[in-house]
Amino acid sequence: MTATTATGAPRIRRHHRTYTTGQIVTTAVTYAILILLAVVYIYPFLISVAGSFKTEADATQNPLSLLPQTWSFTAYERLFTSVPLLGWAGNSALITVIVTLSRVFFDSLAGYALSRLHFRGRAIVFAGLIAVMAVPNVVLLIPRFLILKQLGLYDSYAGMIIPILIDAAGIFIMKQFFESIPVSVEEAARIDGAGIFRTFWSIVLPMAVPALITLFILSFQGSWNEFAHFIVSRQSADLNTLTTGVASLTSGQLGEGNQYPLKLAAAVLMSIPVAVIFFIFQRRILSTSEGGEKG
Amino acid sequence: MARGIRGPEGRYGWAFVTPAMVIIGVFLVLPILLALYVSFSDWNGLGSPLGNSRPVGGENYANVLVESGLAQRDFGTAIRNNLYYVLLVVPLQTALALFLAVQVNNRLLKARGFFRTAFYFPSVTSSVAITTIFIFLFASSGAINQVLAWFGAAGPNWFADPNGIFSPVTGGLTADGPLGLTWAAWLSGPSVAMCVLIILAVFTTSGTFMLLFLAALQNVGTEIEEAASVDGAGSLRRFFSVTLPMLKPTLFTVLTLGLIGTWQVFDQIYLTGGGAPGKTTLTPAFLAYDTSFSELQWGEGAAISFILFGIIVALTLFQRWVLRDRDLGRSGERRARRAEARLRREAEGARS
Amino acid sequence: MRSKTWGSAAVAIGAVALLAGCAGGGGDASGGGNELTILIGSSGDAETQAVQAAADAWAEENDASVEVVAASDLTQQLSQGFAGGDAPDLFYMSWDQFANYAQNGYLDAYAEELPNAGDFYGNLVDTFTYDGTFTCAPKDFSTLGLIINTDLWAAAGLTDADIPTDWASLEAAATRLTTGDTVGLSFGLEYARLGVFMNQAGGQLVDGDTVTADSPENLEGLQYVQRLHDAGVLKWPTEIDAGWGGEALGAGKAAMVIEGPWIKGIEGDFPDTNYQAYELPAGPGGQSTFTFTNCWGIPADGGDTRDLAVSLVEYLTGDEQQLEFADAFGVIPSTEAAAATYAENYPENASFVAGADYAVSPVNFAGSASVITDFNSQLSGLVGGDAQGILSSLQEDLQAALDEANGE
Repeated sequence: MTATTATGAPRIRRHHRTYTTGQIVTTAVTYAILILLAVVYIYPFLISVAGSFKTEADATQNPLSLLPQTWSFTAYERLFTSVPLLGWAGNSALITVIVTLSRVFFDSLAGYALSRLHFRGRAIVFAGLIAVMAVPNVVLLIPRFLILKQLGLYDSYAGMIIPILIDAAGIFIMKQFFESIPVSVEEAARIDGAGIFRTFWSIVLPMAVPALITLFILSFQGSWNEFAHFIVSRQSADLNTLTTGVASLTSGQLGEGNQYPLKLAAAVLMSIPVAVIFFIFQRRILSTSEGGEKG
Repeated sequence: MARGIRGPEGRYGWAFVTPAMVIIGVFLVLPILLALYVSFSDWNGLGSPLGNSRPVGGENYANVLVESGLAQRDFGTAIRNNLYYVLLVVPLQTALALFLAVQVNNRLLKARGFFRTAFYFPSVTSSVAITTIFIFLFASSGAINQVLAWFGAAGPNWFADPNGIFSPVTGGLTADGPLGLTWAAWLSGPSVAMCVLIILAVFTTSGTFMLLFLAALQNVGTEIEEAASVDGAGSLRRFFSVTLPMLKPTLFTVLTLGLIGTWQVFDQIYLTGGGAPGKTTLTPAFLAYDTSFSELQWGEGAAISFILFGIIVALTLFQRWVLRDRDLGRSGERRARRAEARLRREAEGARS
Repeated sequence: MRSKTWGSAAVAIGAVALLAGCAGGGGDASGGGNELTILIGSSGDAETQAVQAAADAWAEENDASVEVVAASDLTQQLSQGFAGGDAPDLFYMSWDQFANYAQNGYLDAYAEELPNAGDFYGNLVDTFTYDGTFTCAPKDFSTLGLIINTDLWAAAGLTDADIPTDWASLEAAATRLTTGDTVGLSFGLEYARLGVFMNQAGGQLVDGDTVTADSPENLEGLQYVQRLHDAGVLKWPTEIDAGWGGEALGAGKAAMVIEGPWIKGIEGDFPDTNYQAYELPAGPGGQSTFTFTNCWGIPADGGDTRDLAVSLVEYLTGDEQQLEFADAFGVIPSTEAAAATYAENYPENASFVAGADYAVSPVNFAGSASVITDFNSQLSGLVGGDAQGILSSLQEDLQAALDEANGE
């Protein structure tokens, strides 16, 4: 990245001199379009944050304004008092932590085995994995519910967590990554007498950090934002996550009216963790999504 | 590889994949088999399906596909709605993502980081949050209609408007079409409410797909483009004759992911009232859920799930066949496959 | 070394097993012994608290404990509960889902055992009778009335003499009340409101084993509604940015709405709105309104808790307790004696009780719910659309559903 900017800088100047009127117009138009699009992409979030601080009437009448007529914290007060938002957040956090750690660990374990370890049946396991990746998630809603019920796991943390502890696509990503690492390093380690798990744990895994970060981001986002699975794996109010809890606010209960500030406040709060993760890893995510695959 | 470590390797290999296989087996393969049985049974939701139901052959499938009646019409409506959703979302999101990627890949563009952030940010938020925000934006006196009012246009009551966007043209076609719907219903286009969900989908997925195109563009490198630029090719022509062909594998990936993803709309439907207004946002995914969980017709719901599965598989294969690239060598295919798997995961992470 | 690495793998697999294990213990809401769970579809905190308080009072006498759970989506949570083998011990069973549940064998038919089984309104007993058996006890009921914003009424120069008594005077009043910011009349675009007009025109949906949805009377009812809407004096709540009629009334967006006693709920959000409820105006076929009711459902495999639940229902449906519920959240008691007391205590709601004399229950038989849902969705095409076509489609689907329910 830095290298390209360094060499890119003089070129930009050279281009500047050769701009024709047509090019200047094109550039201006491009900027205008991009800025307009950026506003379209960002403004909804800004007015949602603003809306969450408005009064009900203000939010309905002046949805576009970025500043509330009077600052109202009622929505947030209600979220933390009459709405069990903290309980929902706690469940979301618990599930996200367990699922993310598990996916990062088990996906790389399996990915490593599939790329490096020779064992009978490996090809079949891998073919099965590919087949499994082809099954769309929504098709699994009813089946998952049936099996959770059959196993007595319905409406429990276990039922919400275990089915999503591992994802086939994550294994696939890790397998591809490990294949891009030269075998020589591991062979050297094994000649030194390190066992297979130790080689994996202390030699291979540290080299896989870029891929692990990619997997971490995907798993975090995926489990924090998961919705459909939690609709069919639980029913108790105690087990509501942020997604199902806020959904119950949004889809509305009889006689409650629109309550935009409350809903927007909930939507804003539930987006904060994924936004934080995004901004922490922003450079990685945005400058190149190649992730670990660069090897 | 020394021969001596084959033995432990075998044991370790199995040990390493066992957790994954157990979970995938128990929570993916088994459930599908169980649901497949339910789809051929009359289970009513009480007790375990094993032992509390009778097999009824293909009755559930027949109710949905061939026997005229409410079940068939609901299914037809859901297919129609989703078909329009797919037909509009997939090209729009792909074109927009490609456009954005080319723009933010331009080294001459200032504040590229800002633009990338802006365009990608909607992709990280959850469907629940973003749908909530859209309900607010598209309220009848909401932000969108206020903006429209600046231009003197009176916006519709978006989420409550069941009228198909082509229905003024197709209103007269009262002849019966497939799946219990009239041709007028088939051709009336997405409802205004469905259009909002289409916009929502384009809004949230274009950022993810922009990143896929961006990665591909960075791989293409700048040399080729610059060479073409020195040749004096105009930027549009350069794009279509040089850049686009290089992006073909990614384009293929994006279209496939888009096709698979758009047939799975569920969250947004759940949040906006389960198909309201007038069932014009009902989708097969939601219909399957609703038929089972609300109407207690579990067999029929499971049957709809499997029909949906079939549709997705068939369309993906069909698309593969149409867009197959005879020039793509083995390594190209491998690369495309690898990219696809990675990106599918990314798209899924962003969508859910 | 080797045993250590094997150990790590074992720990990892064990962690999954452990998670699975601890699941088995927890999460069993129905419990056993003397712990009951009630699942309710609550109209708000007032209702939840009132039910909890009543249940606690009963529990104290009966050495039991009761947990009241307010569902966010009652239908979905109920069916997931039943399918999950974890149904609540007692729950609100809505009139429109009742027949479906009864037909599928979900419900315990306990109602005839109740000592007060004979005290309920006859049409409520009919609503919750499946296959000739009075199945579950009506919890309370509501009828629809015409709710008028009295301030807007006076501002438009209308007096008590103008209170609508028939379709013509309703149209006249709505026209007078319609101003730039306010629409004269508003109600939801659904069978549960429009069906009233169909009945007032003299129509009905089912006559014995025959569906009569596409009768001229039903058409007349729909056309009347169409006409009011075309004239701009009637708008659906969604058209005026209101979640439901009560919100439209409270916010002054509509001067008249058609709602039930639950209208009381708007006092929290709109304390300054003054309103008064009246009986619905009569149509060409006479007076008619709908009665909506829930019953106290007990699952068919209630097990240990079944008898306790029946005893709790007896307590909750007692006249005294029903009047307390009425006090807390405005519902009308389901027994005739208590309802009479209610009308005296709450003269402002007397019109809703008066409606009970001629009220009918909306159509409900096994399988009708999905047809009505479809009818509701077709109604969204009513404005500028083909009312006859909507009724024909209803006729066909409802007859098919009825034939199936009758096993033909």
